[in-house]
Amino acid sequence: MSPKTVLYVEDNAFNRKIVRQLLGSTTYRLVEAIDGEQGVATAIDTLPDIILMDVQLPNLDGLDATRRLRQEPLTAGIPIVVVTSFALSGDEQKAMEAGATAYLAKPYSPRDLLALIRKLVPEG
Amino acid sequence: MPQQCPNAADEGDRRVTQPPPNPGQTFGAAGPGRLDGFLLTRTPLGRLVRWVAGLQTSVRSKLLFAFLLIVLLLIGVGATSLQILSSMGRHLRGLDEAHERVHWTQQIEHALALQMHYTAIALVRRDEAAVAQILRENNRFNDTLARIAAAAPPDERALIQQIRVSQDDAMAVVADIANSIREGKIDDALHALTAREDPLYRTIEGLVRQVVHAEETRMATFRAGVTAATHRSLIAIGAFATVAILLALLFGFVISWSFILPVQAAHEFLGQVAAGNFGVTVATANRDEFGALAENMNRMSRDLKRLDEEQRAAAAELRSLNERLAQASRAKTEFLASMSHELRTPLNAILGFGELMLDNLYGEVPESLREPLLDIQTNGRHLLRLINDVLDLSKIEAGRMELAPSEYVVSDMLETVRASLRSLASEKGLDFVVTAAPDLPLAYGDGKRLAQCLLNLAGNAIKFTKEGRVEIAAERRGALLVYRVSDTGIGIPEDQLDDVFAEFRQVNATISREYGGTGLGLSITKKFVELHGGRIWVESTVGKGSTFSFEVPVRLPDGRGA
Repeated sequence: MSPKTVLYVEDNAFNRKIVRQLLGSTTYRLVEAIDGEQGVATAIDTLPDIILMDVQLPNLDGLDATRRLRQEPLTAGIPIVVVTSFALSGDEQKAMEAGATAYLAKPYSPRDLLALIRKLVPEG
Repeated sequence: MPQQCPNAADEGDRRVTQPPPNPGQTFGAAGPGRLDGFLLTRTPLGRLVRWVAGLQTSVRSKLLFAFLLIVLLLIGVGATSLQILSSMGRHLRGLDEAHERVHWTQQIEHALALQMHYTAIALVRRDEAAVAQILRENNRFNDTLARIAAAAPPDERALIQQIRVSQDDAMAVVADIANSIREGKIDDALHALTAREDPLYRTIEGLVRQVVHAEETRMATFRAGVTAATHRSLIAIGAFATVAILLALLFGFVISWSFILPVQAAHEFLGQVAAGNFGVTVATANRDEFGALAENMNRMSRDLKRLDEEQRAAAAELRSLNERLAQASRAKTEFLASMSHELRTPLNAILGFGELMLDNLYGEVPESLREPLLDIQTNGRHLLRLINDVLDLSKIEAGRMELAPSEYVVSDMLETVRASLRSLASEKGLDFVVTAAPDLPLAYGDGKRLAQCLLNLAGNAIKFTKEGRVEIAAERRGALLVYRVSDTGIGIPEDQLDDVFAEFRQVNATISREYGGTGLGLSITKKFVELHGGRIWVESTVGKGSTFSFEVPVRLPDGRGA
């Protein structure tokens, strides 16, 4: 079975590095994007198996990017995990309304993140 | 008072519909009736009222003067009446006297007739007895005449003297007749009677008639005098009474209006002041007690206006200050929210890398490094809690904290809390017990926030308890859920129980250093409970332990939370 692709849209290099190293020990293949526009373009290009979407992003924020991906027929069915550092009440609701599959508050435990990815898209 | 005069006549309803005057407006009295209004505006009475009002003398003196004047007038009426009565008495006495004299005069006439009668009898019978009767009647005549002479006015005295002379003459003739009878000279006697005595008697009769006539004339004069006096007294008393009544009415009108007008002005003035129309003044012409009152009221109005303006200015300043503070508070909350995001991003990396290391992602971690790595993780999480607490509190204070209510299972929530704190409690060797009553229903509220409250309370309990137990209990009490966290810790002094829910309050700074903590947990817990419409309280004994309890509705009413 071919390896599953994970798209991580995140502007902070250290956070991208954590996920890169976390997935390095797994069979998941990681694709990265550093802002909302690039995230949407990459998702349409590569059609990943799961998308991790940060909320606070330059150019296009994570929630708008999620909405756009849901309108795009090619990406409408891809599971999207929205990651936010706001942790305000109502943020989870906003994420779900935008079309997120799941919601994760920052700071997240890499262990929990991996467990969530495995739950949504089992390793190939 | 003069200002409102042109409107005074149609004053009846005006006060009700009249628009409120502007501040600073001066007004006088309003509201005399139709007649009074006419009298005050169209006649000199208005000027008189103002003149009386303007008299610089006390109200008491004005009233006393008016009463005394009327009393003087009444005394005048009395004196005049007395004078007229005494003059009438005089006339009536004269009338009585004249009447009496007429009566006596008639007696004289009668005596005269009897004398002639007895003279005739003496001629017929020719005896001494008849002559003696003539003399008796003659004496009676003289007595009565003497009485008339004594009472007669001077103009009648000559007439009476003539009567007396004629009577004396008549008596001389009677004596001659008596002698002639005694001597038997009957013819001489008859001759004396017819030729001498008869004319004398007729003369006397004529004189007596004159006296009667004079007295009757006098009586008519007296009667006319009495009638005239009665007439005069009626006119005089009527005139005095009319003047007294008119004066009483005039004084009543003038003095009462000179009091009513300032009272009405004061009434209207107070109405305006009561309506918040400060700065109005009251104008009166009075220079008496009412004038002094008006002056004081005007001073009060000016003071009120000044105070009102000062107060308004202060309120406006406060409002603008409040607005600025609210703005600053919003800015602070926004700053904290964005700061919190900025802090979490590197914290995510720190905790993330630490966890990856501890998970041996970068190779087996040497035992000597494991403890410092765990310390980094512990402190990183503590920093995260601090950031969360500060953010929560600033949102609550800015009124931007909203609950996210949903249905939650109380026992599940308690289990989450137990799982989070179990290791912390067992590290300190404490008994950690969570008990839930068996009948707990499915609840509706912000379960995550309530769990946060229990974590704060139980976390504190574990922190401040060195040995013994920490217990979390939940039970239902009617429409309320009661959560209780009790410990056997150091306790809280009684005088500080009220302070424990305030921000950044720990019982003292030493404890804060020894036990750590943000000092925000209880404050945030209290606010979450209050957002649920509940309440929180604490009971504690120093050295024995504390029990924190809070109650929230089993089902959060709609309209609370998001």
